[in-house]
Amino acid sequence: MNKVLAIARKELATFFKSPMAYILLFLTISVFNIFFFIVIDSNQESTLKDIFKIMEFLFVFLIPMLTMKTFAEEKATGTMEFLMTTPTSNTAIVLGKYLGSIIFFTLIIMMTISYYVIIECFGTPDRAATLTGYFGVWLEGGLFIAIGLLISSLTRNQIIAAISTYVAIFLLYFSLSFIQYTQGTMEALVRHISTLSHMENFAVGLVTAADIVYYVSGIVFCLVLTRVSIENRLWR
Amino acid sequence: MITVENITKNFGVVQALKGVSFEIKKGEIVGFLGRNGAGKTTLMRILTSYLPPSSGRAFIDGMDVAKKSMAVRRRIGYLPETPPLYSNMTARDYLMFAARLKDVPLKKIKPQVDKVLNECYLRNVADQPIATLSKGYQQRVGIAQAILNDPAILILDEPTNGLDPVQIQRVRELIRNLERERTIIISTHILSEIEQIAKRVLIIKDGAVIADNAIDELLIDDQGRPRSLEDVFLKLNEN
Repeated sequence: MNKVLAIARKELATFFKSPMAYILLFLTISVFNIFFFIVIDSNQESTLKDIFKIMEFLFVFLIPMLTMKTFAEEKATGTMEFLMTTPTSNTAIVLGKYLGSIIFFTLIIMMTISYYVIIECFGTPDRAATLTGYFGVWLEGGLFIAIGLLISSLTRNQIIAAISTYVAIFLLYFSLSFIQYTQGTMEALVRHISTLSHMENFAVGLVTAADIVYYVSGIVFCLVLTRVSIENRLWR
Repeated sequence: MITVENITKNFGVVQALKGVSFEIKKGEIVGFLGRNGAGKTTLMRILTSYLPPSSGRAFIDGMDVAKKSMAVRRRIGYLPETPPLYSNMTARDYLMFAARLKDVPLKKIKPQVDKVLNECYLRNVADQPIATLSKGYQQRVGIAQAILNDPAILILDEPTNGLDPVQIQRVRELIRNLERERTIIISTHILSEIEQIAKRVLIIKDGAVIADNAIDELLIDDQGRPRSLEDVFLKLNEN
């Protein structure tokens, strides 16, 4: 556990020492702010429901930038060899990296709490729905990060990691759009793997076991595969 | 202390190691000598449990490297061919991080980091980002990382590669200072380095050990005349 924290801390420290962290924060918050204004201005409703949908959509693009370097950079610079020859378990390495990214992601989300404060001042928003909405966005980010981590562990090239992560998350996110071309079990499968069909419930204040199981099992699945990937040096 | 039994390693169709066996006793300083691509790095990576062997076994202190890898890693300090450094960290931060991963007890981390910074002559650059340090300093940060947990075994992969003559001399001195009570394996293709540091030489060619001698033995030919290590090496690598 100690080592998981040490790795997470190092991840965050190196992240904040590069301009990348600030660019990502600045970019995300600016884009969110614009959409917040547009949505509130056109809907004239005190709810964050649509904001959550937009956040989810934008994270499809932002998370790959956050996760692309996690493993790819370590492999390219040779520090992976260092990590893996210290008495640190592969599980601790994966969890440490995951924790580091999750903390940064949580920081981005926390910066949007001001939106809630604003709508609270000018209206009477549904508090429970806002809370579950945030929880849903957070879980979804957690899944995207786990996917990004897995893909980053498969290559030593950050660009390849970023683009492949885009493709993977994109497919998950937009699979619902192709549902009209499927039927039977395939239709059920597509509906189940699409993040959109799970996220919607959270945004309207509905927390179901099925949705939580979807995200948590997805995260665990990706993290286990990441561990397998670094253990077997699949990037060689 | 280190026993290697008939190790082979295949990368796809390429056989990097072809049945390597040897034994190293406690306190020995052994040089792995060989041309680029001979299999030195692969052998070191197997000893540090970074790569599993395709067949054969390696033991450190009687423990199988493949099966007890955590315990083995605690006993080994390893400097890979390119020093594994995080360029935007300072040398001190990097060593603090490494100390935590290497199970240095929390209370001892700070004094231990200070100690190795001193030992590796890094005190005056300790708080600069590693990216701004010269290659010689970076190499020493790499060595500092390897000795951080006072390992009984040190494995150094080409520690003087790419350094200027003055830096090479400094690194060699440093390695000589580390000798006490330690078993050291050092790989290089610089012959004079082996002569200066090692007591025993393993010459590796195409994934096999073709000579395993004390350095004094190697430097005398069959007729009892002195010869240089260079002659030995070139002769063994002739075909």
